Amino acid sequence: MSPVRLLTLPLLCGLLVGLPVWWAFPEELGFWRSCAIVSGWLGCGLLLASLLLMVREPRLAAWLGGLERMYRWHHRFGTLAYLVLLTHPLALAADAWEESPALARAALAPWQQGWPVWLGWASLLAMMAGMGLAVARRLPYAAWRGLHLLLALAVVLGVVHLLLLGLDNLLLWAPLLAVAIMAGRFVLADTGLAARPHVVERVGHPAAAMVEVVLRPLAQPIRARPGQFVLAAFLRGSRFRGCGEYHPFTLSDIGEDGHLALDIKALGDCTRHLQAVEPGVAVRVQGPFGTFLGDDPHGPALWIAGGIGITPFVAVLRHGKLRHPVTLIYLYRDSADGAHLEELRAASAGQAGLRLDARATGDARPDLEAIIPAAAELAGRDCHLCGPPGLVDAAVAVLLARGVPRSRIHFERFDFR
Amino acid sequence: MTRLLTYLATGIFWLAVAAFWAGGRSAPPPAEAPAAPALRAIALAEVARHAAPEDCWMAIGGKVYDITPYLPDHPSRPSIILPWCGREASEAYRTKTKGRPHSPEADRLLSAYLIGRLSD
Repeated sequence: MSPVRLLTLPLLCGLLVGLPVWWAFPEELGFWRSCAIVSGWLGCGLLLASLLLMVREPRLAAWLGGLERMYRWHHRFGTLAYLVLLTHPLALAADAWEESPALARAALAPWQQGWPVWLGWASLLAMMAGMGLAVARRLPYAAWRGLHLLLALAVVLGVVHLLLLGLDNLLLWAPLLAVAIMAGRFVLADTGLAARPHVVERVGHPAAAMVEVVLRPLAQPIRARPGQFVLAAFLRGSRFRGCGEYHPFTLSDIGEDGHLALDIKALGDCTRHLQAVEPGVAVRVQGPFGTFLGDDPHGPALWIAGGIGITPFVAVLRHGKLRHPVTLIYLYRDSADGAHLEELRAASAGQAGLRLDARATGDARPDLEAIIPAAAELAGRDCHLCGPPGLVDAAVAVLLARGVPRSRIHFERFDFR
Repeated sequence: MTRLLTYLATGIFWLAVAAFWAGGRSAPPPAEAPAAPALRAIALAEVARHAAPEDCWMAIGGKVYDITPYLPDHPSRPSIILPWCGREASEAYRTKTKGRPHSPEADRLLSAYLIGRLSD
């Protein structure tokens, strides 16, 4: 990642967090009163940063270092905001305690207060419920997504809390920006206004429990590079009705005429349902996103793919001849799970620069120590990994142990919860 | 890690809230103020001479308060409270936010700034 892209996210978020704190920093107030004010505005700034990072806009994502990086920091800033905001009412109570314990109790008794404080409590409780569910395990995606709206409600209630408390005009920008970002995200991404209309043209079955869907653009096509992914929502056709949710899919082919191919593995309720998708189904597509294979690979590489993780590498091989030597290690459970195997073997036979090591590993954990090339062969290579998190983590550990610098190991995690 | 941190922080938060509530309940009630000396009579005209943020008196419910030291702590924006400096502000005090009166805690807080009674 270029240094500029590396710095834009921390600089922009630092500004969003620092500005309101600096603007509202109290002078000549008691310690706990100051803590309460600073924690309120610090939480507000962190929430702003977290909100900005959930905006799904391809140019913004490219500028900030990729959607996957944005979502990672969206989670971190959101959690941090919650932790900081929990201290806000406690600091107010501690401030009141200095006057009298009864006053401290009253400070934490919303029924003795008015609308501004009621809304503050409602916001905190909505955030508490939303955070508790956001980090909960094994919640179905659709339920998780619906309950995640509690966090949006918490932001709206927090904004009204601030407005009712009374803000100096200059500080109004913070809550207004929060509302603008959420409205933008909802209108452009969630309703699909910024998505491009496509239609399913062909459906193939490259492996068990996997379909390859070729999409034809119905408006301006999406210009993507191999290794990138899109967010696609499958809608309805004559007999098939998609689940309408946006899910990330890596592109397995990008046609000159704007056709896109997506490989879809049955991993959840929606993708399982998509195994029955048929030509003619309407699809809305947002993107492209991702920086997995960089702008232009500039040297020899090692690619390690597990299962559906072969998709970005297939896209590169379909895009044209390789310009640098590549070793591709493709691991899959059994021969029925190996996708595009014939095509990969043909590509390997057709160009000397590609060495293919495709193997079925069965149900046991693959012995990566034996599979990954020795240190001497790894020297000077960029290593790109795509597959299940367990496989990626294990492969990264082996590569690091063999002296591959972390800057030469590249992978993305599709953890968009 | 995030899950553990979230649940732990939430638990600690409610424990702290419970501690403040328990502390406030078990604390002895504030001692009755000693018999107040007769309050100085202050005319509204004199109150009106203290109408600045750095010298702010208000007449509320027949009493006069010098709330200058409290102004920086007041939760609303200055433009809401400052215009009432130097004035009879009982109605404004009783009709905070959509006609609701201030809380009993605010009444208790206000008594700390009492300086006299409003003369006829």
